[in-house]
Amino acid sequence: MSATHKDAARAAGSPRIGGSALSLTYLRLEVLRAFRVPRQYIFTIAMPLVLYLLLSSAYGTDPVEGAPVAAWFMVSMAVFGAMGGATTVGGRIAIEREIGWTRQLRLTPLSGASYLGGKAATAFLASIPSLLLLYLAGRVVKHVDLPLSTWAGVFGWTLLGLLPFVPLGILIGHLVKAETLGPLSGALFTVLALLGGIWFPVSQMPHAMASIAKALPSYWLAEAGREPLAGHTVGTHGLLMIALWTAIFSAAAIRRFSRDTRPA
Amino acid sequence: MTKPLLDAGIRTRGLRKSFGPVRAVDGLDLDIVAGETVALLGPNGAGKSTTIDILLGLARPDAGEITVFGRQPADATRSGLVSAMLQSGGLIGHVTVRELISMTGSLYRRPMPVDEVLGRAGITGIGQRRTNGLSGGQTQRVRFALALVADPELLVLDEPTVGMDVESRRAFWAAMRDFAASGRTVLFATHYLEEADEFADRVVLMARGRIVADGPATAIKAIVGGRTIRCTLPGADPDRLALLPGVTAVELRGDGLVLRAADSDAALRALLAAEPAARDIEVSGAALEDAFIALTTDAPDHPGSVPGSAHNGSVHNGSVHTGSVHTGQTTPTDQTVARGQELAR
Repeated sequence: MSATHKDAARAAGSPRIGGSALSLTYLRLEVLRAFRVPRQYIFTIAMPLVLYLLLSSAYGTDPVEGAPVAAWFMVSMAVFGAMGGATTVGGRIAIEREIGWTRQLRLTPLSGASYLGGKAATAFLASIPSLLLLYLAGRVVKHVDLPLSTWAGVFGWTLLGLLPFVPLGILIGHLVKAETLGPLSGALFTVLALLGGIWFPVSQMPHAMASIAKALPSYWLAEAGREPLAGHTVGTHGLLMIALWTAIFSAAAIRRFSRDTRPA
Repeated sequence: MTKPLLDAGIRTRGLRKSFGPVRAVDGLDLDIVAGETVALLGPNGAGKSTTIDILLGLARPDAGEITVFGRQPADATRSGLVSAMLQSGGLIGHVTVRELISMTGSLYRRPMPVDEVLGRAGITGIGQRRTNGLSGGQTQRVRFALALVADPELLVLDEPTVGMDVESRRAFWAAMRDFAASGRTVLFATHYLEEADEFADRVVLMARGRIVADGPATAIKAIVGGRTIRCTLPGADPDRLALLPGVTAVELRGDGLVLRAADSDAALRALLAAEPAARDIEVSGAALEDAFIALTTDAPDHPGSVPGSAHNGSVHNGSVHTGSVHTGQTTPTDQTVARGQELAR
C-alpha cells in the first residue's frame, strides 16, 4: 500500500542520510569530538606559525600593498592555516565512510541537513584557532600594532572569506579515500595558496597569473583579510566572488553527498 | 501513519540484485511474520548481506517487490521500526560509549532509555569509556547497543558475532534472546549452523542468491547438519534402509553404502540390528560447506562428479524436500527415499 511510485522515488533519490530529524544533539557531539583531540590541528596551526615567525623578516621591511610586511604576511599565514583547519573535516568524513559509520547513520532518522550542518559547523570552528594564534603571534612577537576596529575587521573578514572552504572540505571528504586525502588536500592547498597570491603579492605576478589568482577563492580569502589593514574592504566584487565559490562548492558537496549516501 | 500492518513483517517477491555479472540475489521470495526469530544461513557469497542491505533500504533491488511492515524498506528503517547491526562497521572516535548511544537515541522518537540499552548490551561498565580504547568484542557490543537504542520492531543483525570472543558471543546471544522474548522480530545472518540452530525459530538457507531451504531450525539441521554413516554392505536394499530410524537419505555405490542421518546414533544402532553383515563402518560429521555444495548443485544427475560426495538424495534441482522443510519451488510430496534410489542408480 505504501509502495507507491512517489514513495519509491523519494526513498531512492533524496539527498539525505537517513530521515528528516534535525538534531542538535548530533551537532553538539560532532563539535565536541572535533576538539577533543587538539593534536590533529598541530600541523594546520604550527606550520603556518613557524613559517610566519621564520619568514616574515625575509620579506624585508617595505610595506606590501600598502600594509606593513609583518601584518600582510600575518594574514597570509593565518588564512593558509585556516584553510587547512576548515578542511580537516574532510579527513574525518573520509574515515567515517571507510569504517562504515556513514552507512550506520543512514539507518537512523538523522537528516542530511543535520549531518551536513554538523560537518560544516566543525569545519568552520576548526579554522578559527589558526586565525587567533597567528593574529596573536603578529601582535605579540612581530609587534603588529593595529587599532581594535582593524583587528576586528581582519578577523571578521577572514571568517567570511573562509566560507567557500567549509563545503570544499566536505566535498573532498565524500570524494576521496582517507589514505589519499592527506596528500591530495596538501597539494590542493599549496596550489591554491601559490596561485591565489597568499604567499606573494598578486601585484608582483605576471598579468596572466594575476588574472587566474583573481578568480580563486584563496585570493579573495587573503584579500578579505588584508584590505582592512589599509582601511578598505574587498567590497561588492569580493563578496560576490566569495558567495559564488561558496555556492559552487556547496552545490558540489551536496550533490556528491547525496550520491554517496543513495541506495546502491 | 503509526506502525501499521505490523503483522505483515517482511514480504519480498522475486527480489533480484546483480553486481556486474554476479547475481547476488536471484529471485527471492521471503515472508517473515512479526515475532519470528529467523536465521539467514548460508556460505559467504550466498547473498545474505545483499538481501539485508535491500531490506534495510541501503540497496535497491534490480527487480521484485519488498515491503517491511507494509512500508518501503528505507521508510521503515528511518522511522525506527527497523534497526540493524551491519556486518562491518567501526565507531567514531573521541566520544564516550554513553554519549554515542544517547546521541543515536536522540534521533528517534521513542528510543529505549540509555541505561536499559547499556544493561541489555552488557556494557554498563564501559559507558564512560571512549570508543577508541575498546576491544573488538566491546566494540561489537556497542554496535549492538546502537541498534537496540532505536527500540525497533525488527532487529537485523548481519553476522553479529564475527570478531567476538567466546564470552562476548555468549553474552551477545543472551541479550538477543532477551530482546526477541519481548515479542520483537529478529533476523540475523550467519554462516554458523550452530548459531542458526540454537537461536532461531526458523532457518532460511541461502545459496547463490536463492533460498534453497526454509523451515524450523531442527529440520534444516537434519539436512545440513546430520552425520554420514559409511559402510560396506553387499546387496543392500535402499528402500528398507531408508526406513531405519534417523536415516534421511540412502546412497549405494557398488557394495558401499552411504547413509545420511539426522540422528546417527539411532541410525547406527538400527543399522547394526537390521544388517549384521555391515562392516567397515565409519561415521563422520557433515561439513556445512559440503552440505551447501550438495544442496546447491544445479544438476545432480551425476552424483560422483561433485567434490565431497555429499550427495544424500535430498537434492533435486537445487531444492530440498525433507520432512517439514518447505521450499517454494516444487511441492514437497516426493519422498527422500525415492530420490535416494534415483541417485543411487
